Amino acid sequence: MIASQVNRRRALALTAAVFAGALGLSGAARAADDNVFKIWWYETPESSQATAWNKALDTFKAKHPDVKIEFEQKSWDQIEKAGALMLNSGDVPDILEYNKGNAFAGLVASQGLLTDLTGEATKRGWDKLLSPSELALSRYDDRGIFGSGPIWGIPNYGEFVTVYYNKDMFAANGLQVPTTYDEFKKVMDAFVAKGITPIAEAAGDYPVVHLMGELELSQVNQQWVQDYQGLKKPFDGKPFLYAAQQMKEWMDKGYITKDVTGLKAPDMAQLFESQKSPMVITGTWYVGEFVKKNQFKWGQFLFPGNTISQASTGNLWVVPKDSKHKDWAAEFIDITMSKDNQAILGNAGAVPVAADPAAITDPVAQMMIQGFNTLKDRDGLGFYPDWPTAGYYEVLLHSSQSLLSGQMTPDQFVEALRKPYDDAQAGAN
Amino acid sequence: MASSSERSAGGASAAGYYVYLIPGAIGFIAIVLVPFVMNTAASFTRWNGIARPRFIGFENYIRLFNDGTFWEAIEHALASVIAMSIIPLLIGLVLAAVLFDYISSRFGPRASSILRAAYYLPQILPVAVAGILWGWILNPIGVLDALFDMIGLHWLALNWIGDPTLALVSLMGVMVWLQVGYALVVFMSGLARVDPALYEAAEIDGAGWFTRFLNITVPMLKPEIFVVGLTTTIAALKVFAPVFVLTGGGPGTATTVPSYLAYYHFFTTNRVGYGAAISSIQLLVTVALGLLFLRVQTRQTEEAQ
Repeated sequence: MIASQVNRRRALALTAAVFAGALGLSGAARAADDNVFKIWWYETPESSQATAWNKALDTFKAKHPDVKIEFEQKSWDQIEKAGALMLNSGDVPDILEYNKGNAFAGLVASQGLLTDLTGEATKRGWDKLLSPSELALSRYDDRGIFGSGPIWGIPNYGEFVTVYYNKDMFAANGLQVPTTYDEFKKVMDAFVAKGITPIAEAAGDYPVVHLMGELELSQVNQQWVQDYQGLKKPFDGKPFLYAAQQMKEWMDKGYITKDVTGLKAPDMAQLFESQKSPMVITGTWYVGEFVKKNQFKWGQFLFPGNTISQASTGNLWVVPKDSKHKDWAAEFIDITMSKDNQAILGNAGAVPVAADPAAITDPVAQMMIQGFNTLKDRDGLGFYPDWPTAGYYEVLLHSSQSLLSGQMTPDQFVEALRKPYDDAQAGAN
Repeated sequence: MASSSERSAGGASAAGYYVYLIPGAIGFIAIVLVPFVMNTAASFTRWNGIARPRFIGFENYIRLFNDGTFWEAIEHALASVIAMSIIPLLIGLVLAAVLFDYISSRFGPRASSILRAAYYLPQILPVAVAGILWGWILNPIGVLDALFDMIGLHWLALNWIGDPTLALVSLMGVMVWLQVGYALVVFMSGLARVDPALYEAAEIDGAGWFTRFLNITVPMLKPEIFVVGLTTTIAALKVFAPVFVLTGGGPGTATTVPSYLAYYHFFTTNRVGYGAAISSIQLLVTVALGLLFLRVQTRQTEEAQ
């Protein structure tokens, strides 16, 4: 009897000790946050952005030597799949890179998960550095739709989707850069005839949505883009039907491999870098990697035949509502918008929004900036097809996969895209 | 039989034992009961997870029954049951008998221990790591196809993850690889209580290996078979990690399972009410199957007695 009483007391004492220990540890962790600057981004370590932003962190550290900087590398998929969840949890960083568009920044802005940056933007002059059209993707209204409302995020760079090509392979096969869609097909036919797959493509994740997007944008004008992105009208399936038919044709003619649904973006990049395919259709975010890895002469040309391509201002710096150091976050944004950092960003291969043109000396950078400016000057910034509503990216991706694996016809593809868009459109209006 | 002093001591401190149930009870209430109630409540609302929920009755469930993707997901859940429960169970039984009966006696218990640990390794490997590795092995420019091309079996160098039918097969293959070790370990520990004299007697009477397997191994392992069957079926019905890492539910919806669909609606489209409805149905099916299993097992145990 005595033994069991002693045992019971021991058990209670142990439980109490464990609870106290846990409380003590969590308290200590919270106290330690006061001198920590938490920052997340998901541009890959080899990208131009990461180069510039790491330099920005160095500048920040020089100004705040006592502050401990906690950086976490994220991935685009993490933000796409669980961004809202992350921002709604208790464990938010002080500043993070976030996807632009209704489906991402718009959603979390309308849910009150971000800090309104309009005041800071005026105070620090960011709204002078960026033109009103460049700020369009920073503003979201209370429905989460872009274009108007407070400023919730600041972009550092512009981005666009283009066709990168292997100059050496083109020269070896006596081919010129195509300027029309028909010429593009002839170039691809020429490669197929030599037994080379012309386009490195991947349908296991996002690249196939970019291919679909370029084909779809070849059929529309800027007003259509604004209506589509702003959920102003019910779904117009005609451009998407064209895109679906073209994608099927590309696969049938051998422009892209039959097993493209099993490949992911890193595989596609590898096929281009190892010269298995002379072209790859992807965005500016790959320039940093291509500069480092391509052992051949390469360049880019905008998707032939398109006036509008997938392009926009880049991902946004956002400050979570519960950020513990909003002042440091604003300061960091300021550093990344400074002429010095923008020049570093430009020379590393990204398209800066606020750089002095004379400061960009790197030839690759000049090539990319020229591409972006060409699009901007002809009002060809087409944004991305997955932005209108949350979860639309998965709809586009899965439907494209079903189309390319033969499970869906182009008509079924359009119908699969129609319903979620119309649901969102009805809900927003 | 307890002596009178022991019995009174047991009676006096029996109440004291309830204290030891408190941690488990707290865990159950906090992690199982409260979320279950919240989830069921959420399934009757339209909610995006942050703003105020709006009560809409059974609308989510009605939409669910008309949703083709949901029924596809249920089909794939049943395929998972085959791949994570039935096949590993059968393979595990045979392997356990081989390791215990044959390898142990021919090559010594150490050899069978090492093999058992090797089979169990997939259970220890983090699923995310295993998923990425298998993704690399199975993709069109990966090791498996390269191997097939090298040895001339070009017709086998297929699009293992990208083809809709093959993706499910590949996923099921990875699931079998994951689960065989678990079944094997449980069955081998069960076989340890089987009297070897039974096997010797049967061998003397002229029974071959397979007859011994069917008439001694399987009946003696009935309790283990039920445990493995029940736990792996439940795991199969709620499987998420291998699907998420390997195929992301694709291509298209070829490998979508209920858990993945619920995740998609909870976190990506922010239709929390709809995702909650999927989870509720999933729970119902799992509980029903679990109760069925237990019922059959109880009846079997009663018959045996």
